Amino acid sequence: MEVTIQTQEGKTLVTLNGRIDTTNADRFQQDLAPLMQGDKPDIEMDCSGMEYTSSQGLRMFLMLQKSVMARGGSLMLRNMRPQVREVFDITGFSNIIKIV
Amino acid sequence: MSLDLHCEMILDEYRERRATHERLQEVVTRTLHRIVEDNHLYVTAIESRIKTEKSLSGKLELKGHKYATLDDITDILGCRIITFYTDEVDKIAALVEKTFEVDWENSVDKRKLLDLDRFGYMSLHYICRLPAAIYADPEHPELNQIRFELQMRTALQHVWATIDHDMGYKTEIEIPREHLRNMNRIAGMLELADEQFSRIRMAITDYRRNVQSLVADGDFDSVPLDGDTFRSYLELDPFRHLAKRIALINQAEVFDDNLMPYLQVLLQLGFHTLGDVERLLRNSSDDAYQLALHQISGTDLDIIALSVTLQNLCCVHVLRQGSGVLGLEFIFNALGGNTEANHQRAERIFKQARKINICK
Repeated sequence: MEVTIQTQEGKTLVTLNGRIDTTNADRFQQDLAPLMQGDKPDIEMDCSGMEYTSSQGLRMFLMLQKSVMARGGSLMLRNMRPQVREVFDITGFSNIIKIV
Repeated sequence: MSLDLHCEMILDEYRERRATHERLQEVVTRTLHRIVEDNHLYVTAIESRIKTEKSLSGKLELKGHKYATLDDITDILGCRIITFYTDEVDKIAALVEKTFEVDWENSVDKRKLLDLDRFGYMSLHYICRLPAAIYADPEHPELNQIRFELQMRTALQHVWATIDHDMGYKTEIEIPREHLRNMNRIAGMLELADEQFSRIRMAITDYRRNVQSLVADGDFDSVPLDGDTFRSYLELDPFRHLAKRIALINQAEVFDDNLMPYLQVLLQLGFHTLGDVERLLRNSSDDAYQLALHQISGTDLDIIALSVTLQNLCCVHVLRQGSGVLGLEFIFNALGGNTEANHQRAERIFKQARKINICK
């Protein structure tokens, strides 16, 4: 899993590439650490390169969502591949995290 | 502005005591915030000010002879609590009486002063002292002796008082009769509005209590579906059993997310009472479980959101009604806005549902 983070006009743009599974979930958590700071974060994640997410990945997204909400910010996932979107849908996670 | 010697002495006293008044202001304001928070009251504002030297000079110029010393002027420190509702003014007043030492001789309930055919400035003014039990500084015992004014009023009374003050008339005699009449008409209207807001709030509180009792008794068919009733219903945790059943498919954990967004969906699907929701749960849980089983078994997903229960129940409902892909898409659009992904999702679920014979 490859995570790149950029800031543009007050918005944090994150690009995700690859798979999130048990082998790299810890690394993914570390990569997300910079997003866990700051007031009212406005985060957009481009998920077009994300091939798969396991439950561990879902937990990381949940953790990030909670952190962002607690700081009065917003998190949005974009361009999700259908097979990844299905994981969010069947677990009810698309009710928790905004996906467009 | 020219003041006589007596007034100048009072003004000197005011300058000397400035720091003491500032300290008193800090303690009193902090205490007011504490009593409001401790008693879970919502107020629009807690304000305070120390009378400016210019304002005091003006007062002394007009009626300086009335005051022997600065202590006789009770509004050097003025505080104000502005509430939303009239009954909250009384609650605040009761708390102020318990907290501060009220100088009853000089306190005024202006709400009771008006004649039957008069409207106008209505506010509760207490003259108080800070009791040593609240705050005592051995080096400044005068903090417990200085009197201060505390005004309690509603937001609408505040609007009235502020505009009335802005007009710049000190007495009613100065105001042209026509303007006075118009001001009084507005005051009457504000008083009525204040009263109505309190009544509406009381009626809503009664409604909520009544609904909570009906929900607790399980009398769901008598309870209309709305924000209050759905929230009370969710407190009974009605979807837990289904969530646990679904979670068992993969020994998953259940994350308790917010189910309130589904209220809009249920209403748009034509559910009118909590009884309708209860019947959906009773009659469609097995199909909702089967749908989840079809989707989740064979994956290694070991976390689900609680809302997956309502999500699948709503899906089963529209499929049984024969609404097909369009019905499913309607649910997802109502939840998260219209997107192309919703159509794909609806088609996918429709295919899955057909395989397990949920569709009509």
